[in-house]
Amino acid sequence: MSGEEEENAAELKIGDEFLKAKCLMNCEVSLILEHKFEQLQQVSEDPMNQVSQVFEKSLQYVKRFSRYKNPDAVRQVREILSRHQLTEFELCVLGNLCPETVEEAVAMIPSVKTKGRAHNDAAIQKMLDDLSLVKRFE
Amino acid sequence: MFLKVQLPWNVMIPAENMDAKGLMLKRAILIQLLDAFASKKATNELGYYLAVTTLDKIGEGKIREHTGEVMFPVVFSGITFKIFKGEILHGVVHKVLKHGVFLRCGPIENVYLSYAKMPDYKYVPGENGIFMSEKMSRIQVESTVRFVVIAIKWMEAEREFQALASLEGDYLGPISEGGDVGPMSEE
Repeated sequence: MSGEEEENAAELKIGDEFLKAKCLMNCEVSLILEHKFEQLQQVSEDPMNQVSQVFEKSLQYVKRFSRYKNPDAVRQVREILSRHQLTEFELCVLGNLCPETVEEAVAMIPSVKTKGRAHNDAAIQKMLDDLSLVKRFE
Repeated sequence: MFLKVQLPWNVMIPAENMDAKGLMLKRAILIQLLDAFASKKATNELGYYLAVTTLDKIGEGKIREHTGEVMFPVVFSGITFKIFKGEILHGVVHKVLKHGVFLRCGPIENVYLSYAKMPDYKYVPGENGIFMSEKMSRIQVESTVRFVVIAIKWMEAEREFQALASLEGDYLGPISEGGDVGPMSEE
């Protein structure tokens, strides 16, 4: 990363390696970790003892902060967000924080309003509407 | 933010675990990798190591001269959790002190939100102290709070991150109050 001082996720200054890295939404991590945990349960009497603290805390966290639980809904959410020329980082911030209004969405990812990016309020509103539909039919 | 990463690693297999049957060897490599991964806990670069998702490639083994172990270079995919300055996140309050609160956020145990960074909230002492705003919004143990990260510190000795949080910004603050008060429910 170029200069620790300059890191600022709000402006998408998070280092190239992370901008290109694939980010995961809480609901996606929840599906993966829960699946891993179920696998462990099948081979171990005391699966909680088999996992690291990092795993355990993360699992608790993503279970609490996943808005979408069903795998189909999770897939649809990524699909909807992917239509909007967002970076991986922005996509996951929106999927995690679930803003309800355009103003709130922009406050969560101020980087979408930077120069040269084509996000208008109507497009963001459409995206939020599509997301709330997914939630309603989950 | 949770990240999907692909990493190279060297796995050491003791000679006695070498087996002519390929499947057993692959299993031994995987077990070693999972052990090493879990004990690594975190790195400054990639954050906390959560889970290995797939073992993508096993290279040619090389025998180590002095120990007789065989070293296999492998490539695997996994999930990590890294916190970024400027990132907005949800956390859960687990400790309330006079001068601020500590939040838990994913595997990070110590995200500190100082009273100086939540000027709308005042400390209300009591058996279980809380922070409360003029609009009666509360921050207490088990509250869910949306905050922005203003600083991060990597603690090499503990292999842990600590972070400083702030509520100065739009749409930041408690989103559910926790405890036994408040009609607000969580998503």
